[in-house]
Amino acid sequence: MTGLVGRGVARVDGRAKVTGAARYAADNEVTGVLHGHLVLSTVARGEITEIDTSAALAQPGVVAVYTHRDMPRLTLPSFPFLKGFLPLQDARIHHNGQPVAYVVAETLEQAQEAANHVRVRYRAERPTAHLADALGEAFLPRPFRDRPNEFTRGDAAAALKAAEVRIEQDYTSPTMHHNPIEPHTSTAVWNGNSLTLYESAQGIIFTRGVVAKAFEGFGVRLEDVRIISPYLGGGFGAKGPTWPHTLINAAAARAIGRPVKVVLTRAQMFTMNGHRAEYRRSLRIGATRQGVLTAIVDTSTGQLTRTEESIFNTSDSTLNLYACPNVHVRQMGIRLDLPSSSYMRSPETTAHFGLETAMDELAHELGIDPVELRIRNLPATGNTGNHLQECYRMAAKAFGWARRDPRPRSMRDGNEYVGWGVATETHTYSVFPSSAGLTVGVDGRATLRAATQEIGTGTYTVITQVVADGLGMPIEHVTTLLGDTTYPPASLSAASATMASVIGPASHAAQSARDAVIALAVADPRSPLHGVPAQDVVAERGYLFPRGDRGRRDTYHGVMSRHGRPVEVTGSKQNTGGRSHGAVFVEVRFDPRLAALRVSRVVAAYDPGRVLNHRTAHGQVIGGVTWGIGFALMEHTVVDRNTARVVNPNLSTYLVPVCADTPSVESFFVDRPAEDSTALGARGFGETPGTGVPAAISNAIFHATGRRLRDVPFTQDKLL
Amino acid sequence: MTPQRSAYTRRTVLKSTAAATAVTHLTSAPAIADDGGTSEITLSVNGQRHRVAVEPRVTLLDALRERLGLTGTKKGCDRGECGACTVLVDGERIKSCLTLAVMRQGAEITTVEGLARGEELHPVQEAFIRRDAFQCGACTPGQIMSAVACINEGHTGSEAEIREWMSGNLCRCAAYQNIVAAVADAAKETPR
Repeated sequence: MTGLVGRGVARVDGRAKVTGAARYAADNEVTGVLHGHLVLSTVARGEITEIDTSAALAQPGVVAVYTHRDMPRLTLPSFPFLKGFLPLQDARIHHNGQPVAYVVAETLEQAQEAANHVRVRYRAERPTAHLADALGEAFLPRPFRDRPNEFTRGDAAAALKAAEVRIEQDYTSPTMHHNPIEPHTSTAVWNGNSLTLYESAQGIIFTRGVVAKAFEGFGVRLEDVRIISPYLGGGFGAKGPTWPHTLINAAAARAIGRPVKVVLTRAQMFTMNGHRAEYRRSLRIGATRQGVLTAIVDTSTGQLTRTEESIFNTSDSTLNLYACPNVHVRQMGIRLDLPSSSYMRSPETTAHFGLETAMDELAHELGIDPVELRIRNLPATGNTGNHLQECYRMAAKAFGWARRDPRPRSMRDGNEYVGWGVATETHTYSVFPSSAGLTVGVDGRATLRAATQEIGTGTYTVITQVVADGLGMPIEHVTTLLGDTTYPPASLSAASATMASVIGPASHAAQSARDAVIALAVADPRSPLHGVPAQDVVAERGYLFPRGDRGRRDTYHGVMSRHGRPVEVTGSKQNTGGRSHGAVFVEVRFDPRLAALRVSRVVAAYDPGRVLNHRTAHGQVIGGVTWGIGFALMEHTVVDRNTARVVNPNLSTYLVPVCADTPSVESFFVDRPAEDSTALGARGFGETPGTGVPAAISNAIFHATGRRLRDVPFTQDKLL
Repeated sequence: MTPQRSAYTRRTVLKSTAAATAVTHLTSAPAIADDGGTSEITLSVNGQRHRVAVEPRVTLLDALRERLGLTGTKKGCDRGECGACTVLVDGERIKSCLTLAVMRQGAEITTVEGLARGEELHPVQEAFIRRDAFQCGACTPGQIMSAVACINEGHTGSEAEIREWMSGNLCRCAAYQNIVAAVADAAKETPR
């Protein structure tokens, strides 16, 4: 150990990213590549009755136009292919913006132009697009990935009835879209039955499985498919599943016999790659006069489709965060004529927003400080309670919470009302089976390979730190290679799983390789370490020496150059998922003359176990908090009630926070290793920040204005 | 500053009689090889002159990325909303998806690949690494080009001013406060 782990090391991929040298999936130059452009349906439900591609085919440069009539027949894959149907396989229309034709041409402009010339006639049925229009059709979906959608603990109904105090409210949130800056893209290159995809994917191992399944009818096996994704221009969940454009594009490339590249347009990204579903939540909370929770009944209703019933926005925090003996959670759904929803950063936020707003309502009702109310209800044992109290103490002190006058509209600064709100941040993280291959070359330098991804969270950097630390080698002598399915299989970059899954194997590989090199040194008569017991040799900064005797030293380079062959090891280590927590304090300023609201200050503290890199961890905090601001104040996809069409499929009407919308966020970490994590004590963390921010903002708005808002986004019209 | 800088966006040009409008305002006449509407033009990018055959409808962004192999400039929305495609044209920041390649003959175009001097990074690039002003990196080339211009424009007098003048570049990872810090740092180091 050389003290590298934990340090805020600058990103090792920084130079590539600031010079434009980093090659994202759409940046690869592939010889002879054709360009594809999707034609999407303009109705939401019904079927294609007629489709005329002759005018499109006559356009200059057009190579092929595929429709459901002539598209190669593929096999419908399962998770993580989330649509439940494959477009371009039959005439059925399941949602507005579904692919109905695929145009391939020599240039991008030719493909885009020709797509305008595909004529489609539909037999259209009236779609249902809003939850409000089908509330009577809510049902309890089947378990999703073995997780049931109903949980009970104790007798919530009886406890609620008997409660001294009750909060009974409804909370809603609209459809939202991930909108990574890099659009989804795929370039398919076939060589016989072998397929290489340059893909924007958060999980290349998963994508490989979906693609191989789709093409199994052509004799394509898993090992025939290679996915390459060394840099991802943002995913936020959108690029975790595999979406139809990847399969359509690969099928076209196979049929044409040339490489084809597809890049979704921004508008297409509003129907082609999932979204955060529209939600309604009915929350009933019972408590004693002392603020001890006695009952929670949480019934959520989210948007499903007619072909898919997966629940991504689970009510984990209702069940697990507070020590309430009587809980009844139901995660209901309603089938609408919309695209499938999917995971989107911090998916529990839809549920947690309601819970943490209701907690504030309870605190106000009882006249108990909202921080104190939460602390009174933390479980005595288990990872929930670990250091969350300390998070509250750290952040409250830095924020100045003790100076808060709890009365609404009590704090003013000039023309503005100032509101302070608080909420718990919490996220359930997963782990995925992972391994890592490490080679120490004859030059004494190390290369780590793992088929996970860099999505902006700092995967290259943190792995490099951990490996350099484990080897006892300067960080500059370690190279990490990611994003290629020819590397040892590793985690999906989703569900905050990457670090929790990959750090154990990377660390294990580093220790194995270090031990192997030390064994070579002590057995080598030419080494100054010859004959020293291996367990007495330590490695630091690339030097190997007996503990306490730095003068008698060898180097990785020396040992390996004499050995003449690389040392290759594979690391693996199991870990388990869990939860990580924090506390977030928000200040808003409200100008009643304009109904203008802004978030002016955010202070947060977290318990992510051991912090592996303070710089990248802080990056996750500022990102998550900003997503929370977007969720609370602006983001919403508007779906037309009659046509089920997205009305605002662009970044000038689907608003996301810009630089001027965001305050500087101050973050703190408890930074103590989690005993239950094999990832050097680090827990999955990336999606914890932000989960509590919408509620904290709602609570701050109540404090500033005396008005309780329960329907995000809190746009200006709701504050008038 | 060239007269056509802001007079014609991609959309207005496309709406009207595309090629004719654009060609009228070219500072130097393009060599129009009447080959299916393709023109052979010269683009001056990062101090190098490139001969490239493009149709008049090809944006500067797609000319850079798909014809010249300069993929550092990113396409995020293709309609001027995200700023990922920001480049400098005669020193001014523009969104390269909102201008046609044929309109930029004779102009000096600078992309993110043209900032460093050999191994030596531009002060803005250095500051972005030092301040961790990016995560996934997809918006970063545009942020950096915008930051170079923002500093040259003198819009770095305060944190609030930087926030305002850097708000044309979306960062979905939301590294905003670090971007502001990087721009402020680089502004101090950049003689104007």
